[in-house]
Amino acid sequence: MTDLLAQGPLPTRERRGFSSHPIWLCGLLLALTLGLALTDLGRRLPTGEWLQGIANPVDGDMAQLILHYSWLPRLCMALLCGAVLALAGTLMQQVLRNPLASPTTLGVSSGAQLGLLVATLWAPWALDYGREWVALAGGGVAALLVFALAWRRGLAPLTLILAGLVVTLYLSALNVTLMLIQQQDLNAVFIWGSGSLSQNSWGGVEFLLPRLGLGLLLLLPLLRPLALLELDDSGVKSLGVPLRFLRFVTLTLSVYLAACVVSVVGVIGFIGLAAPALVRLLGARTFAQRLRWAPVLGGLLLCVTDLGIQRLAGNLAELVPTGAATALLGAPLLLWLLPRLRLAGGQPQSADSQHFERHPFPARRLAPLALLLGGVLLIALGLGRGLEGWQFSLTDIAVLEWRWPRVTAAAAAGCMLALAGCMIQRLTGNPMSSPEVLGISAGAALGLIALLFLLPYSGPLAQLALGGLGAGLTLLLLLGLSRRSGFAPEKVLLIGISITALFDALQVILLAGGDPRGQNLLSWMSGSTYFVGPQMAIWVLVCSLLLLAASLPFGRWLELLPLGDGTPRALGVPLGRSRFVLLLLASLLTAGATLIVGPLSFVGLLAPHLARLLGLARAVPQLLGAALLGALVMVAADWLGRTVLFPAQLPAGLLASLLGGGYFMLCLYRR
Amino acid sequence: MRWLLCALALVASLTHAEMRQPRIAVIDWGLTETLLGLGVTPIAVAQTEGYRRWVQAPELPAEVIDLGLRVEPNLELLSQLKPDMILITPQFAASRPQLERIAPVHTLAIYTPEAEAYVGAQRVTRELAALLGRLVEGEAMIARIDANMVRVKQRLATQALPPFYVMTFLDQRHVRLFGKQSIYQGVLDRVGLRNAWTGPTNYWGFTQQGIERLAEEPTAALLYLEPMPPGTADGLASSALWQQLPAVREQRLYGLPPVWSFNGLMAAERFANLLEARLVSENER
Repeated sequence: MTDLLAQGPLPTRERRGFSSHPIWLCGLLLALTLGLALTDLGRRLPTGEWLQGIANPVDGDMAQLILHYSWLPRLCMALLCGAVLALAGTLMQQVLRNPLASPTTLGVSSGAQLGLLVATLWAPWALDYGREWVALAGGGVAALLVFALAWRRGLAPLTLILAGLVVTLYLSALNVTLMLIQQQDLNAVFIWGSGSLSQNSWGGVEFLLPRLGLGLLLLLPLLRPLALLELDDSGVKSLGVPLRFLRFVTLTLSVYLAACVVSVVGVIGFIGLAAPALVRLLGARTFAQRLRWAPVLGGLLLCVTDLGIQRLAGNLAELVPTGAATALLGAPLLLWLLPRLRLAGGQPQSADSQHFERHPFPARRLAPLALLLGGVLLIALGLGRGLEGWQFSLTDIAVLEWRWPRVTAAAAAGCMLALAGCMIQRLTGNPMSSPEVLGISAGAALGLIALLFLLPYSGPLAQLALGGLGAGLTLLLLLGLSRRSGFAPEKVLLIGISITALFDALQVILLAGGDPRGQNLLSWMSGSTYFVGPQMAIWVLVCSLLLLAASLPFGRWLELLPLGDGTPRALGVPLGRSRFVLLLLASLLTAGATLIVGPLSFVGLLAPHLARLLGLARAVPQLLGAALLGALVMVAADWLGRTVLFPAQLPAGLLASLLGGGYFMLCLYRR
Repeated sequence: MRWLLCALALVASLTHAEMRQPRIAVIDWGLTETLLGLGVTPIAVAQTEGYRRWVQAPELPAEVIDLGLRVEPNLELLSQLKPDMILITPQFAASRPQLERIAPVHTLAIYTPEAEAYVGAQRVTRELAALLGRLVEGEAMIARIDANMVRVKQRLATQALPPFYVMTFLDQRHVRLFGKQSIYQGVLDRVGLRNAWTGPTNYWGFTQQGIERLAEEPTAALLYLEPMPPGTADGLASSALWQQLPAVREQRLYGLPPVWSFNGLMAAERFANLLEARLVSENER
C-alpha cells in the first residue's frame, strides 16, 4: 500500500485543448439550462400561450399564473443568486489569496441564520419588517465580529479565515442549541437554512436587483488595485496600495453581496467556493478573467441544478432544497477537480504564521494541568442537581452510576480529539485544521445517518460499526485523492472541506424535510454523552489511552513535518509513509471521538492551540498537554450541559464549542 | 347477600386500585394525551412546557414534573422519581436501554406503516388501557370518540362542503400538507369530508410543498392550523401567487386553533370538534 503512496508529488500532467477556457463549460451549461427550461415550459403551457404567461397572465388561469409568479422568478433568482455568490467568492479569494475563502467561510450564513432564529423566538415583530433585514443584520454582525478579531493582524488572510471559521463554528453551535430546545417554532428557519429558491412573486428579485446594482457600482473603483494583489504583501505595499483598507472595503462589499442573497433564499454555500475555483482550473489566469467568468458559471451552475432538481424530484421537489443540492453535487465535483487544481504547496503556509513562547520545562506545565483535570473530574462526578436542588456527594451510588460513564467518555473523547487536532495541525502545517476540517468526523456522521434512516431503531454496536465504516471510507478517499499531490496540506484541507460540505448538505435536507427523526440526529450530532453506558465508557477510555501511547513515538516526525517538504526529506523522514501513518492514526482518533461526542466540537482545534499558548511547543509535550486540556474542556462542558438548563440537558459537544469558541476568539483578538 | 359481598369487594378493589395508581413517566406527548384521556395523570412528562403550548388539550396538571428534552429525558431525575413504568414511542427508542435500568419500559406506536393513524391511535388506547387495568375506560373513550365522529358527520352532512387541504404554514412559501397516514385523514374520512391532497406523504402523514401546489384542486378549500409563523401573514398578503389561488380569491380559507399533528385519539376528537365549530358557524352566519 505504501508503494502506492508516492513519496512526494507526482509530475502533474498539464491539460490543454478544449477544456482550457471557461467558455466551453459555460456554453455546455447554457445549452443544458435552455434545454431543461424549454422542455419544462413546454410541459406547463402550450407554445402559443408562452408570451402571454410570461408578460401578462390571465387572471384565474393557474398554469399561466404559476409560470408568471413562481416559475419565472425562480429561474431569474437562480441565475442572479448563483452569479452574485460566485462574484462574492471571487472577490474574497482574490483579497485573501486563499482558494478556501467563500461567503460562508466568513460566518455570514450562520450569522444570518442565528439572527432569524433569535428574532423568531424573542422578537417576532422584527420579522414583520421583512426576514431579509433580520438576516442581513445577523450576517453583518457576524462578519464584523470576524473583522474585529482579525483587525490587529491587519486582516491577514490566514488570521481572517481562522477567525471566520471560529465564528462560524461558534454561531452554528448556538443555532443548534436553539433548534434543539425549540424545534417546533423554528421549522421556517430550517427551510430557509437549506436554501430554497421557490418563489411566489417578483418580490425577491425586486429586492435583490437594486442592491446588487449598488454593490457593482461600488466595486468598479476597486478593480485595478485588486488586480495588483497577484503580488505578495510587500510588493503591493511598495506600489502604494493601502492594503488593510483595500481588504476591509472589498470584504465588506462581498459580505454585503452575499448577505443580500442569503437573506432572500437562504444558505447556498458551495457556489461561492466552487465557481471561482472551477474557472481558475479551466484556465482563467488573471483576475479580470475570473471576475468575468465566475459569475456566469455560478449563475448557470445554480440554474441547472435547480431545474434538474425540479425535473428529477417531481413531487418531492420541495423536500430537496436547492442550496443543499448544490452542495451534494458540488462537493463531488470539487473532489474530482482537486487533483487538477494548481495550488502553492509544500511551503510553510504564510509569513504571518504564529509564533509562541516555548517553556523550558514542560513538566512544570503538565503537572498543574493534571491536577486541574483531577479537580474538575471530582466536581463533574459529585456536584449536580436533583429533586431537592443542588447536591454534592461522591458516595451516592444511585447518582454516580449515571454520571461516571458520561464523565469518563467525555474525558476520553476530549483527549482523542485533542490528539487528532495536534497531529492534523502539524501534518498540514496549518493552524486552521482540525479533525472536523479533515472531514473524518463528517464521514463517521454520514455512516450514522445512513443507519438512522435504514434501520431507525438499531443498537449502539451497529452504530459503532457503521460510523467506523464511514470514517474508514472517508479516510480511504482522502488518502487516494491526496496521494497524487504527496499529501500537500491545502489539498488535504480542501478534500476535508468538500466531504464536510457533503455531510452538511445531507443534514440540512434531513432537517428541512421535517422528519421527526431529524430531532434524534440533531441531538447526536451536537455531541451528547447521554447514550454512553458503562461498557462503552470503559471501551472508549481504553481506546484513548492505547492511541495516546501509540502517538507518542511519532514525536520526531511531528516535529519535522510542519517545516515543509524540503527539511524533513533532507533529514531522512519518509514523507509519504510518515504522512500515511499519521493520517491513519489521526483518523482513528477522530472516529473514536466522533462516535461518542458527535462531529461538531471545538476541542480538536482548541486544545492544541491552548497547549502551545502554555509554552508546550515541542511535539510530545504538546500532545500530552493537549490531551489533558481536551479532557478538561470536554468534562467541564459535559457537566455544564447537565446542570445549566436542568432538567433539560445540553450535549457536551455543543457546550465545548461554546466554551472553547469564546475563549478562542478572545485569544485571537489579544494576539 | 353473596351478591352484595361481591359488589363490596369490587368497590374495595377499585378504591384500592385508585389509591395505588401506578407512578408513570411518559416521554411522548401523544401517549401523555391518551393517558390523560383515560383519566390517569402521569407523575412526569418530557418537555411539559412544549406540551402546554403545542398540544394544549387535555390540560396537563401543574404538579406533573418536567423530565427535560424528549430525546434525552433526564436519567438522574427519573431514577430519583422511582416510577413504576416508563412509556415511550419507537421514535425515542434510542434511550430505551438507559430507561430500562430505571423501570419497565413500554413502547407504544400510534404511527406505523401498516395501519392508518386513527386505527393506530385506537390500538394504542387499548394497549394502554390494558396496561393500566382500565379496559372499561379505554373502550368507553374509543366509543365516545367514534360516536362523536358520527355526530359531527351528521352535523356536516347538511351542507355541501368542498374537499379540503389540511395544512400548517411553514413560511410564506411552504406548507405542510397532511394526507394518508395522518391523524387528520382519519378524521376527515369519518366525518365525511374529502382530503384534497392525495399525493405521497411521509411516515407521519405529511409532505412539505410550495403553496403553488394548492391550486391543483381548484374547488378545494384551505384548512390551516394555527399558529402561523411570525411574519407569514404579511408575506402572504404581499404574495401575488397566494392572492391568485382559487381558494383565497373565493375566500374558502379556514383557520383552526392549534392541534398537535402527531398525536392520537384526543387530538382527533379535538380536531373534529374544532372542524365542526368552524364549518358550521361559518355557514350558518
